[in-house]
Amino acid sequence: MAGEGGGSRALFLMALLLTASLYGVRQASALAISVTDRECVYEYVFYEGDNVSGNFVVVDHEVFWGSDSPGIDFEVTSPAGNVVHSAKGKSGDKFELKGLRAGMYKFCFINPSSVPETVSFYIHVGHIPNEHNLAKDEHLDPVNVKIAELKEGLDSITAEQHYLKARDTRHRHTNESTRRRLHFYTLTEYLALGCVSGLQVLYIRRLFSKSVAYNRV
Amino acid sequence: MAMRTAEASSAALVRVVAMVAAVAMMAAGRAGAVWVKLPNSGTKCVSEEINAHVVVMGEYSAFYEEDMKDTPTISSKITSPYGNTLHHKENVSSDTFAFTTTESGNYLGCFWVDSNPHGSEVSLNIDWKTGIATKDWETVAKKEKIEGVELELTKLEGLVEAIRENLEYLKTREAEMREVSEKTNAWVAWFSIMALAACICTSLLQLWYLQTYFRKKKLI
Repeated sequence: MAGEGGGSRALFLMALLLTASLYGVRQASALAISVTDRECVYEYVFYEGDNVSGNFVVVDHEVFWGSDSPGIDFEVTSPAGNVVHSAKGKSGDKFELKGLRAGMYKFCFINPSSVPETVSFYIHVGHIPNEHNLAKDEHLDPVNVKIAELKEGLDSITAEQHYLKARDTRHRHTNESTRRRLHFYTLTEYLALGCVSGLQVLYIRRLFSKSVAYNRV
Repeated sequence: MAMRTAEASSAALVRVVAMVAAVAMMAAGRAGAVWVKLPNSGTKCVSEEINAHVVVMGEYSAFYEEDMKDTPTISSKITSPYGNTLHHKENVSSDTFAFTTTESGNYLGCFWVDSNPHGSEVSLNIDWKTGIATKDWETVAKKEKIEGVELELTKLEGLVEAIRENLEYLKTREAEMREVSEKTNAWVAWFSIMALAACICTSLLQLWYLQTYFRKKKLI
């Protein structure tokens, strides 16, 4: 991505880094995307040593039997190109890794089945200024380090809440599907019972009808 | 690169300054956001389940995957859970949107590429903020005349309040779902007993009908 001077995306990222160092960075993204085959989301890590944490939950789970769906696979690729975290066949997971390099990290969801699934994810990149930053910038107190750590703790609580909310949504979908199935299958069951017993009676009547009976005799 | 003239580098500088100004708006709440790749044809949608009366602010900018001088043009559409279009813009490279939600549900934002003369991949930067992240701390700082550590701690206090509200919301949702579960549980018991009763009724009816029929036919 090292643009040769005129790259507007490189400039955009440089501008982001500039303002990030001036204003401080608070990066968290909570969104849901629909994964048909492979969907990738990218997040830029500004400083090395930042904590990248997050979670994802497969929310839309329209399968008939529970064993049909193998879940989705999850992969995190560092800017260098190597896979730093992977999980297979999960319907929801939390992850935490240290961004050893600054750059664009790639978070991919791979759906092995043909049914599109909706994945709700939350990615958070947290930066705590350390002694090196303290020495460089006279505006930073040791208090700022403690405040940053406190903010990181609160952000982790927010991440947990997103995870719980997404799991609750999935549970709610299952419950509503159970309710719908209950009504539909019960109605079908009664109708089928009525139809089958009516057909039985008709068939027995036919067996004993005059034309058939006299032929048997 | 050695051939770069002075005017080209000054144009680049102007672009940097413009970028910094544009991005400084983002940095107030949260610098940095998620990037997705837009296919050349077809739309890419992101969604989030949001409650009612929540402020949603967002910004998006599109760039080419390979660094080029110009930017692609994309279109966007944000819809509410009931299908109303909250924001619709065509042929822009970057845009912002803000609205307050009136109903709770799934809010969908869809993006698609309008024109792609270069044919290279388009990557889109989406900054989607809801709730406490949209709060304008600069205005609060100016109004209350707080700064530095006090401002940071006030931000944390706001965040804690948001966490508490979120927890209350999760509690109400869990209570609603528990009611639905218990109702379904009661229905399962009731419908199963009714199915058994219906079975017995049907077989009794059949027996009675066939007895009457055979008596009429003088077979028994």
